[in-house]
Amino acid sequence: MRQRLHYIPISEAVEGMVLGAPLAIADHGVTNFTLPAGNPLTEGNLHQIAMRHGEFVCILEDDPRSDAERDADLVREKARLDRIFAQADRSQPALAALYAAVLAYRSL
Amino acid sequence: MPLHLSESDVVRRSALLPAFPTVVNDLLQTLDDDNATIGALIQLVGRDPVITARVLSIANAAAMGGRNQRDLRDMQVAVSLIGLAKVREIVLAVALAEFSRESRMGSHFWEHSVAVGVAAQELARIGHLSQDFSLVCGLLHDIGQLWMARCHPLEFQLVRMSLEQDEGLDVIDAERRVFGIDHCAIGRLLATAWHLPASVVAAIEHHHDVQPPADKLVAVTHVAEVVVNALDLAAHQKSRVTHLAGSACELIGLNWSDDLGYLFGRIEARSHYLTRIFF
Repeated sequence: MRQRLHYIPISEAVEGMVLGAPLAIADHGVTNFTLPAGNPLTEGNLHQIAMRHGEFVCILEDDPRSDAERDADLVREKARLDRIFAQADRSQPALAALYAAVLAYRSL
Repeated sequence: MPLHLSESDVVRRSALLPAFPTVVNDLLQTLDDDNATIGALIQLVGRDPVITARVLSIANAAAMGGRNQRDLRDMQVAVSLIGLAKVREIVLAVALAEFSRESRMGSHFWEHSVAVGVAAQELARIGHLSQDFSLVCGLLHDIGQLWMARCHPLEFQLVRMSLEQDEGLDVIDAERRVFGIDHCAIGRLLATAWHLPASVVAAIEHHHDVQPPADKLVAVTHVAEVVVNALDLAAHQKSRVTHLAGSACELIGLNWSDDLGYLFGRIEARSHYLTRIFF
């Protein structure tokens, strides 16, 4: 089964979820807590993250969608983005880059 | 026929808003003094029992993750456990959340403001500038609209309706047609009257400019709002992106060839988290 990344508030993280990206929490610019990508979250990890006021985690989760469902979701996301950018001149480099970056993010 | 509002009208009618929380101003003034900050912060927050109680409640939940019974009752302990920067951030957001709540503005206004505050903080990391200032600019960037809704609710509704009927209409133009002035100019007047730092006043005034002045705090606030709208974080079907100043992106150091999924993910997840805990 395919997998996808999902960024969630720490309040929605539960034991057993697998980190999709390394977690690093810094205080005063010094990293004082890290977990690697692929680490399954334990109750202890969640407590330690909360203690350090971590606010979100990136989770790797199974993507049960078929290819057709995934394509349909992408079409929906593109339509939503087209509506938001309807009045924007996307020939301008910054706007074109933002549009592409958000579409890539929504396609994760 | 637009309203003919003078600058003094705007300032005078701001008396209809709740008193602006002085702790925000006081806190921003102490940011450059590392030695004074802990004592000053505790003293400043201690003046307001409502803010103190909410800060301790949020700090307690944050520190303990809701997973044990320990109770933070003292600001000094809160600072030692979750850190000065976090407590300061909580104080700023709580003070402005209380202000927004007392102003009786709709929840989507606060959700949008929090999202822009968080995005501004995240962009400030990239641009190496103060995250506290950036948070305040994001939270206050649309303060002029709060004034419009509170002081002239019918006219404010007219603006909203005209934007819904004409999707090509720019919000600034729509406001000027009805009010004779836009929310950025009103925000400048309010922020000046509240004696907020000049850099914050400039960010509020110029966040909608097509070519904002070359100032990092203005740039961060401008780009933050555009990114939040592009991500549709308030998700009320009205998000629009009309322009984005490339010069502001360059000033921050935002590199479009980087993978921005992590930045967007942080902004989205933190916005949802903070909207819930602060309001």
